[in-house]
Amino acid sequence: MSHHKVEVKNLHYTYPDGHKAVNDLSFQIHHGESVGIIGANGAGKSTLLLLLMGVLFPSQGEVCVGDVHVTKKTLPNIRQRMGMVFQDPDDQLFMTTVYDDVAFGPRNYKLDEKEVEQRVLQALEMVGILHLKDRAPFKLSGGEKRSAAIASVLSMHPDILIMDEPTAALDPKSRRRVMRLLKSFEHTKIITSHDLDMVFELCDRTIVINKGEIVVDGLSSEILANAELLDTCGLEMPLGLQNCPICGITVKNEK
Amino acid sequence: MANIMNSLYDMRLLDDLARKETFIHRLHPMVKLVITIVYLIAVVSFDRYEIGALLSFLFYPVLVFAFAELPIASILKRVLLIEPFIIGIGILNPFFDHQLIVIGGITISRGWVTFLSLFIKCGLTVTAALLLIATTGMDRLAGALRMLKIPRLFVLQLLLTYRYISVLMEEVARTLRAYSLRAPAQQGIHRSVWGSLAGQLILRTFERAQRVYQAMCLRGFTGEYLTGVNEKIKTLDVAYLVAWILFFAVARIYNIPMLIGLLITGVIK
Ligand SMILES: Nc1ncnc2c1ncn2[C@@H]1O[C@H](COP(=O)(O)OP(=O)(O)OP(=O)(O)O)[C@@H](O)[C@H]1O
Ligand SMILES: [Mg+2]
Repeated sequence: MSHHKVEVKNLHYTYPDGHKAVNDLSFQIHHGESVGIIGANGAGKSTLLLLLMGVLFPSQGEVCVGDVHVTKKTLPNIRQRMGMVFQDPDDQLFMTTVYDDVAFGPRNYKLDEKEVEQRVLQALEMVGILHLKDRAPFKLSGGEKRSAAIASVLSMHPDILIMDEPTAALDPKSRRRVMRLLKSFEHTKIITSHDLDMVFELCDRTIVINKGEIVVDGLSSEILANAELLDTCGLEMPLGLQNCPICGITVKNEK
Repeated sequence: MANIMNSLYDMRLLDDLARKETFIHRLHPMVKLVITIVYLIAVVSFDRYEIGALLSFLFYPVLVFAFAELPIASILKRVLLIEPFIIGIGILNPFFDHQLIVIGGITISRGWVTFLSLFIKCGLTVTAALLLIATTGMDRLAGALRMLKIPRLFVLQLLLTYRYISVLMEEVARTLRAYSLRAPAQQGIHRSVWGSLAGQLILRTFERAQRVYQAMCLRGFTGEYLTGVNEKIKTLDVAYLVAWILFFAVARIYNIPMLIGLLITGVIK
């Protein structure tokens, strides 16, 4: 199945103020793959995701979803198949209740109200915030907002799920829940995160970005165990792979 | 900066109130919209010197307050916010209109009468508009406007402005909070940073609005704001509509307070 493939060729992006955020990126993500995109703050991860979603358009190069180029014309079609969770949930929630917010996407696709309700309740259930459905989003805590933002994308049943730091600001239980959720999601996933343990657990493949360029692209199990490489990109090995600080065996990444 | 945060929460109060489940809330939004429009026209159409007859129009807000279980104080507070403007507009009336009239044995200038009637009219109309929002909610109201064939663009503009205001106010509140935490000893904001702070606010709110809009587009927003409710007008709605319109018509044509007064004095005689 090639229709959920995401392909990026020689992608460049410069912000209007002249800041070069993405510099000659190329990669291919196949159907059903789950890919972690990691890199230091300001490496260009969020910018890359916005380019994939067609929110920003590349200054050079191209993005293809399936076999379709992302252009203004093909956007409505492409967006129906991709769902993106923003880094800042406040950008995503603007209706008066959590329920209406989660229902916003399905309603835009003109589903009938029964189906909308079923999807909303299912999405809320999946992220475990069914009890918040009648609350106003601006009155929620940071983590609750994030769960609501994830639900608002899940309710659209996307084929490709794109998430910008899905586990930031979540408590350990909610983080687990989101991770389990992502694991059960069989379609293509693209996740950026500083939570390298999560990337290690969820993504078979990792792309490391530094200053807008790809440093390595390969198996998570190899990249995330390579302390030297991670260190040069301003990262650290996942805690799960580091030696136990209490047993006292030398920590690998402090050469 | 607590006052700004408070007014933000205040603003959302109408949204919260609109989610109540009373008989008034469940009425069809279009019915409430039409009643409010008729009410506004009726109140505004009174002559400048008729205060007595105007009073029967108090009946409508009082009943809605009671049946919709709305907090009177917090809504009246909002009405009072508007009144200073009216005082500003109307305060010159007593100086221009010197003719004297006699009401109940007291002689006053007609200017004061027109001023008072302006004040009351404003109070009644603003209250009616707020009650409409507080019992219907902006989303359903927009649906009603669409049903009345108001162009999509206008309705959308109204809705998004209403939504964005709160989003933008949050941004303002956050910026100010960040400022006040780092300048704890100051009262208000120092003159020297007004410029940069204002510039920041404009840029930030602009960026924020843009990101919210992007997020909406990603979820399939194409310009039609769908709220999912597609209500049918029931007999109860029609009855409610007819009852109020009849009352407004009667109250507009006859001076009900005077009639009641006559009736009572007639009985006494
Ligand atoms: N709107 C903008 N205008 C100009 N430059 C921007 C804008 N947004 C981001 N940048 C710059 O582009 C670069 C990449 O930003 P981006 O948000 O993609 O980083 P990121 O990898 O997501 O970082 P983080 O981990 O902190 O979220 C940064 O150096 C940033 O300063
Ligand atoms: Mg980012």
